[in-house]
Amino acid sequence: MPLDTSTYDLALLRVDGRRWNELRRLDGQIRTQAAADGSSYLEMGNTKVMCVVSGPSEDKRRGQTSASTATGSNAADVAVSVVVAGFSSVDRKKRGRGDKRIQELQTTISKALASNLHTHLYPRSTISISLNVLSQDGSLLAALINASTLALIDAGIPMTDYLVACTAGSTSSYAANDDRADPLVDLNNQEEQELPFLTMATLGATDKVAVLVCESRVQVSRLEGMMAAAADACKGVRDFLDQVIREKGHKMVTEGTIEKGASMAIEIDA
Amino acid sequence: MASTQQQHLLLSPAELAYLHITLSQQPPIRADGRTATQFRPLTAETGILPGTNGSARVCFADGTEAVVGIKAEVERTRKQGIDYAKQRRPRNKQKQQQKKIAEEEVEVGDGESEDGDEEGAVHEPTGDSDWVKMTVEIPGLRDDDSGTVFLATMLSEALLADGEFAKKLWINRRFHWKLYLDIILISSPLSYPLPLLSLTTHLALLATRLPRLKSEADEDPMFDDDWAASQFIYPRQGDDNTSPSTSGTRPPITLLVMAVGDNIIFDPSKEELAVADSALAVSVGETTGDADGAVDVDEEGKASRNLRLLSVRTIDPPSRLTAPGIPNAVNAAAWGQGAVVAKDPGARAAETDEVEGVWKAPRGGAKIAVLGAMVAKVLEKGGVADEVLEGLYGVELG
Amino acid sequence: MPREAEPSLNERAFVVQALQEGLRLDGRAFDQFRGLDLKFGDHYGVADVTLGKTRVLANVSAEVTAPYIDRPFDGIFTITTELSPMASPAFEVNRPTETEVLLSRLLEKTVRRSNALDTESLCLIAGQKCWSIRVDLHVLSHDGNLIDGSCLAVVAALRHFRRPDTSIEGETLTVYTPAEREPVPLSWLHSPFCITFSFYGEEGEIMLLDATLLEEQLRVSSCIISLNKHGEICQIAKLGGTPVEAVSLIQCASAALTKGKELSTLLDQKLAEDSKRRDKGGLLAELSAENER
Repeated sequence: MPLDTSTYDLALLRVDGRRWNELRRLDGQIRTQAAADGSSYLEMGNTKVMCVVSGPSEDKRRGQTSASTATGSNAADVAVSVVVAGFSSVDRKKRGRGDKRIQELQTTISKALASNLHTHLYPRSTISISLNVLSQDGSLLAALINASTLALIDAGIPMTDYLVACTAGSTSSYAANDDRADPLVDLNNQEEQELPFLTMATLGATDKVAVLVCESRVQVSRLEGMMAAAADACKGVRDFLDQVIREKGHKMVTEGTIEKGASMAIEIDA
Repeated sequence: MASTQQQHLLLSPAELAYLHITLSQQPPIRADGRTATQFRPLTAETGILPGTNGSARVCFADGTEAVVGIKAEVERTRKQGIDYAKQRRPRNKQKQQQKKIAEEEVEVGDGESEDGDEEGAVHEPTGDSDWVKMTVEIPGLRDDDSGTVFLATMLSEALLADGEFAKKLWINRRFHWKLYLDIILISSPLSYPLPLLSLTTHLALLATRLPRLKSEADEDPMFDDDWAASQFIYPRQGDDNTSPSTSGTRPPITLLVMAVGDNIIFDPSKEELAVADSALAVSVGETTGDADGAVDVDEEGKASRNLRLLSVRTIDPPSRLTAPGIPNAVNAAAWGQGAVVAKDPGARAAETDEVEGVWKAPRGGAKIAVLGAMVAKVLEKGGVADEVLEGLYGVELG
Repeated sequence: MPREAEPSLNERAFVVQALQEGLRLDGRAFDQFRGLDLKFGDHYGVADVTLGKTRVLANVSAEVTAPYIDRPFDGIFTITTELSPMASPAFEVNRPTETEVLLSRLLEKTVRRSNALDTESLCLIAGQKCWSIRVDLHVLSHDGNLIDGSCLAVVAALRHFRRPDTSIEGETLTVYTPAEREPVPLSWLHSPFCITFSFYGEEGEIMLLDATLLEEQLRVSSCIISLNKHGEICQIAKLGGTPVEAVSLIQCASAALTKGKELSTLLDQKLAEDSKRRDKGGLLAELSAENER
């Protein structure tokens, strides 16, 4: 939504027809990968992310560098690897593993999950989380965190609460101190490129912020509004994830669990 | 960073012996009751990524899963010094090249006719392989890890072997399509991933569409905005705008074949690979029928296609790897290192002698006759390769 | 690869207990910075920041080169950080640790992505020649709060730096040495500063500014806010760790604004002092026709 030629003020509708507090179409599935301990597939609009969790498993790299958390080696290590496919954006672009932006994403997700999971139950082990980004259309970090949460629940790793994330932006430019500026929720790629936005992850439906990342210039006074909007949206995402888990659980109870080794068909909407 | 490691499958000597003996029977008895040429069920779907020109996802029965996405971009052809003016041929077949999502405005010359026409846009070999870029992502391995690079090479080699594929990417003298194939293995590499990746790539290529060309001759290419008008890079039979004889070319597939004793076994599970005497990765392509419309319409789609062998590569099955827990005295890889005289002089003999009912890792190579038989079995008319190609062709393109 | 020595259980318990009683190990207030000193080198573009025992040196250099192909109208601006074992045994050359990756990403977001330096002004001949400004950051001593110190050093060095003057006649580009023409400062749009907040306690209710190394190792989470004196936030990074109440973060943002304004005044003051010092015995004096007699 371009700032100058914005039609937002006319009908208060965004380019894709959403209002300021509406999330995009969410679609989530768990247990998509039969051979893994936990797996999930999440779509937030056109952002499609797959997550595979293995663990907790024996830690082969003990004694070398570990994340210097206050708990030291009495907790499981959360190792995150993010692979952004070359075909995920409109232009095909190959991103190497050593890309610092990807490393930062990995560190962020790892630290956020480490404080949420009950890692003290698994000392000297590693929980490996492997994320694949199939398509990007904004809210990348948020989708990665949500998909990880789903997969970890599928793997049965105990945690305090759902770790949910969402993006929020503002229609004001950074210089203007525009009190009429509205916060927006769940931005797509076009909106992210033009408007200031932040990604926020909360612990379930509470107001506790686990992750807050803002990489664009925005006025301090806008911050509170954006964070409040994001917190509300996170509550909506939490309800959605909870529903996905419960439906799958219900299916498993009524139809019997599916064993590893049987082939699975999942519907990935085109 | 995620430490997904390839686990060496731990099988006890009794299990290894059992597997080897049952697979050496005539006919071979497989643990899951399949016949030697029967494949496990798999799930395949295409068109899962609308942002790509073609995409596919295949899950094998053992839980391994791969996703392939194909994107195409127009690129300017660097002049090779060849007079392209000679290469205009009257179009008997509508072979239109299409491009990516309609923002591009590049004029494209007439697609040249393919199909046995030697002079149709001859390209230098270097130009060909440059127009296709394949990358493979395996979780837990680096990009430049030898295993990953080897897989990418094998897959692209099969695709570019006959030189026909790159011709599909020609637009006009000045421009061509550059095709990017990104192959991602979602599950960790529990068993050798080559057949899975190959099948997924095959499906993705079948589903790949390029925008329809609107411009003429050597002008800057211009494409039709309407995606519904786009055409498959491998035209389907029964399409209105393809005449019968262009259909029939398919992307190649690579199958894993193993031999135990005199038996040739297809789609081996990882337990079966653990006792293989030898294993081959055979790449098979399909050729068209006779040139220029002489193909009988009734013949199409029949079980017997003209299969062509594209490449054969030997694979080191896990049976040849040293299992953990083997002492140096019996580990052939450690012999000759250091002055360790075997405490048990009979150990070396015990290792190499044939003992009834005990499985020993295969030593030496495979007989040429066996290798030849394996390849022949793959290429058999109405045999395994045919079935697989039929099956994949039947997948509905999303 | 050797690791940082982790604090002992006693130290850990002591520091955390003291914080809960409102006391900090070195007696500072919770929102007080350590002694901050900023010195400039003799050459233009060298800034040395001392924050307690943490010491960081930034060095700016410029050269003429070809611009990136996809950005023909922009110059090139890079910030490189290499943490060497001089700062701490945990760092190894060429092996970026998590600290190093985070530091370089934060500087990138704060200074580069927020357009503090106008890269379009670095363009000389579109598509062919442009200035490439390179900031090298050296960490001489690590006692906590590398990020705040580094950002200040980078910004100070860039504002201090003078690049050679150029002129274009037709197709030829002439670059003048400092002796021929006075070097010109870079085209600077705004000065961002980083403020790091460290959180302690079960719920992250205790908040500290400018943590020492010991305090950094014991914190349960941290939030880094970058902003300039106009109240524009350039970036916020709370990358995981114990969840903290949203209200606290808002308070952090306003605290950061106050601190940022303080740092900005400090920097302006130091720059003014330095240019006065240079003027006295510097080129400007030589250029004037007056002499002492």
